[in-house]
Amino acid sequence: MPMTRSNSFAPGQSAPRNCVLNHSPRVWQYPTAIIAILAFLCVSVSHAQQSRPNEYEVKAAYLFNFGRFVKWPTTTAPDKSGSFAVCVLGQDPFGTILDSTLAGEALDGKRVTTRRISKPQDAAACRILFISSAEKNHLKEILSALDEDGVLTVSDMPDFSQRGGMIEFVMDGDRVRFEINLANAENARLTLSSELLKVAVAVRKNVPRGD
Amino acid sequence: MFKVKNHSISRKLTWMNMLVSGAALLLACAAFIAYDTITFREAMVRNLSTQSQIIGSDTASALLFNDPQSAATTLSALKAAHNILCAAIYEPDGRLFASYSRDPRRDSPPLTIPADEAETHSFKNGNIVLVRPIVFQGKPTGIIYIRSDLEDLDQRLRQYGSIAGVVLLACLMAALLVSSVFRKAVAEPIVGLAEVAKIVSHDKNYSIRASPAHRQGELAILIDAFNEMLTHIQENEAALRKAHDELEQRVQERTVQLETAKKELEAFSASILQAKGELERASKFKDQFLSTMSHELRTPLNAVLGFSDLLTEERYGPLNDRQRRYIGHIHTGGKHLLRLINDILDLSKIEAGRLQLAIESVSVKTAFGEVADVMRPLAEKKSHSLLVNTLNELSVRADAVRFKQVLMNLIGNAIKFTPEGGKIELAARQLGEVVRVEVRDSGPGIPPEEQQRIFEAFYRSTQTEKTVEGTGLGLAITKRLVELHGGHLGLESQQGMGTCFYFTLPCVAGLEAEKVRTSGSVLRTSETARILVVEDDLTAAHLLQSHLVAAGYGVVLCGQPERALEMAIELRPSAVTVDIMMKPVNGWELLSSLKSDLRTAQIPVIVVTVVDQPATGSLLGADEYIVKPVEKATLVGAVQRCLNLRGRIAPTRPLLVVEDDASTREFIAELLSKHGYVVSVAPDGAEARAQVAASLPELVILDLILPDVSGFQLLAEWRVDPRTADLPVFVLTSKDLTTQEKDYIRANTGALFQKQEQWQEALIRQLQRAVPPVLTEKS
Repeated sequence: MPMTRSNSFAPGQSAPRNCVLNHSPRVWQYPTAIIAILAFLCVSVSHAQQSRPNEYEVKAAYLFNFGRFVKWPTTTAPDKSGSFAVCVLGQDPFGTILDSTLAGEALDGKRVTTRRISKPQDAAACRILFISSAEKNHLKEILSALDEDGVLTVSDMPDFSQRGGMIEFVMDGDRVRFEINLANAENARLTLSSELLKVAVAVRKNVPRGD
Repeated sequence: MFKVKNHSISRKLTWMNMLVSGAALLLACAAFIAYDTITFREAMVRNLSTQSQIIGSDTASALLFNDPQSAATTLSALKAAHNILCAAIYEPDGRLFASYSRDPRRDSPPLTIPADEAETHSFKNGNIVLVRPIVFQGKPTGIIYIRSDLEDLDQRLRQYGSIAGVVLLACLMAALLVSSVFRKAVAEPIVGLAEVAKIVSHDKNYSIRASPAHRQGELAILIDAFNEMLTHIQENEAALRKAHDELEQRVQERTVQLETAKKELEAFSASILQAKGELERASKFKDQFLSTMSHELRTPLNAVLGFSDLLTEERYGPLNDRQRRYIGHIHTGGKHLLRLINDILDLSKIEAGRLQLAIESVSVKTAFGEVADVMRPLAEKKSHSLLVNTLNELSVRADAVRFKQVLMNLIGNAIKFTPEGGKIELAARQLGEVVRVEVRDSGPGIPPEEQQRIFEAFYRSTQTEKTVEGTGLGLAITKRLVELHGGHLGLESQQGMGTCFYFTLPCVAGLEAEKVRTSGSVLRTSETARILVVEDDLTAAHLLQSHLVAAGYGVVLCGQPERALEMAIELRPSAVTVDIMMKPVNGWELLSSLKSDLRTAQIPVIVVTVVDQPATGSLLGADEYIVKPVEKATLVGAVQRCLNLRGRIAPTRPLLVVEDDASTREFIAELLSKHGYVVSVAPDGAEARAQVAASLPELVILDLILPDVSGFQLLAEWRVDPRTADLPVFVLTSKDLTTQEKDYIRANTGALFQKQEQWQEALIRQLQRAVPPVLTEKS
């Protein structure tokens, strides 16, 4: 196209005008590049302004990071192999933050996707499941509804790790930290890296007490 | 001494060895250490890198989950690594996350660090700083910073240094050992060789030898060659020394010989000098003897001859026949004695090589004429005819006086030995470069056996019947005189056919002869009256000449009237004939200039001309005036009158005779007064000087040998004084004169007469020409 365009210019026209006419269409040929540059500028600006991330931003990042320290069993369900689903069960405290954090990321060799689910049955396809603290009353049925293996459960509801959950966000002042119940994770045939255990506030190995 | 000498080369060898090995070792050590340092540092960096990697991966979770505590715990594990000074973990954006310092007071990591994607390390201040990004699962998670000291490296280097030092020392020791071996093998022979060379060059001792090498190789060759060279030098030197010694000895011998020879030579030369002195004395004595002889013998003889001559004239009373006869004997004996003395003196002079010839160009014809004039009366006495035969003008190089003496001797002999009425012929002809002169007679001839002996002194022919007067020296002198001239005297004779004596003299070239002919010097020797004929017409001149010559006068022609005065002054002729019609100077002019010039005023002038103006002539001072055509009788008469005319003005002043010998003085005075002159006498030089000073005489007759003041001295004095500069002087002496003396006398006097000759007549003739005699009352 530019070639024909450039060819269409008859000889005898003045060179400067030619140039101007020539260039402007070329630049506008790549709108994506321009958008990318603009987006980058916006992100940079917002990042600079947002020097201190809020709690859920940190938690969203942690969700992703957990995925990097956990080894899933190889016999994971085939539908799970299509993508790496990070699911939020119940009321979503992240809003768009989770999506933006995980956008374009990949874990365990698969593209990370986010999913909001309302029923525990849907969680079987998830690798990481964040259970809203609002679901604390249904925790037992949720956990039991989960697949035998392959789902890392995370929640910020109190005593989550005591109640059969695997990783429980706890607040240490304004710092977001977490506790791990290794026994629950082993039940789900998940292997948690010692590195992860090293930075956990507490690592439990007790099985959930029967309520 | 030897050890000290060793220093140079062996020390050099040692140094060389040690330097080489030390340098090699140092280089090797340096290279090794450098290599090891680099390797070690790389290893350290690698180690640090590994550590940082481990720590990075250990702290990734802490970073990811914001757990600095955990990271610090992980970092504190570095305590175990003693070389780590400090370490820190930074968040990806460079903020400090966790840190560790071994000694927080000294080392602490920076608070922020620039993010970098790749691992970097740097060495600064003796530390290694390594910064490495922490990547977790492909994502930059943080940055780790580790600073380590280089203590390990330093320690290692220290170890290396000490090891290298030890090795170097060991190496140098080894080098020393090796060099000592080399010294033995290389240095010592060379040093030895050098030592020998030094001794040789210093002491010139060629007998020592370098110790022969017991190895093969270049050193051995060198030493052998050196020794061989020394041998050659020694031989050469010995030969040279020997030659030198021999030479020295020879020189000494020669010196001694030379000195001996020199002494001999000096002695010889001294003796020669002595002999020379003696010879000179003898020669001087001989000269004196000859001089004295000639003077002392002739003086009394002159008196004998003179007075015997005067007696025969019977002026002082008549002589009877006996007296006359006896006086004749005295006179004849005296004359003979005089000739004998003259001949002896001549001969001895010739023999002594003391006869000096005044060589000049002499006209043969003139000489013949003069000799014939003298000899003719003698010839006529014996009724001989004397013929002179010269076809053309010939001149010879000869002493005129001696040439004539030779001629007179030969003619005299011819006259003597030829019977009366004979014929004597005089001839000359040119033969190449010589002139051959012949005296031929019609005498009896000389037998062959006498022809050789005839030239010996005192040889007298036995052929003549009657004794012939003579000294027997004539031919001997004649022969020597001819030979002195470079000629040869010989004779051709056949008995009964006459004799021809001939001699040769060197010829003068024609041009010179021409000069001789017109020159007055030769003509002046003529004793005949000379007439200068000034006539520009050649025919007239020849006519006058023939008339005058026929009358017995000598004639000099002058065709150039402008030169006439000059010639008259030079020739001092007896008279001058002058033509009037001449160019460029006419006769009147010439006449007046002749008469107005003091040098020529006395010379009579005869005007011979077609111009008939005798009054003008006598006015201008002409003595005679003849109008052409000229008759011989008129001319000769005029000339004779002129010659006599000079006597007409009688001198009032006397003639001064200076003569120390009383008898001779008296004789001369008598002779002169006999011829009509007034005479005063002076017995010595002083008297003569006084008389001349008192009043000028008309003429002086001067003897040269005087007791106090010599004649030469008087002459010199008179010539210097302007008053007496022109005083006429005749020299009459018995002294043998040298050429120089003769030249001096000729230049300063009017005439020279020598007592050994027949001088009386010549003196009177010359005197009459110069000073007319006073006709005294006596005659």
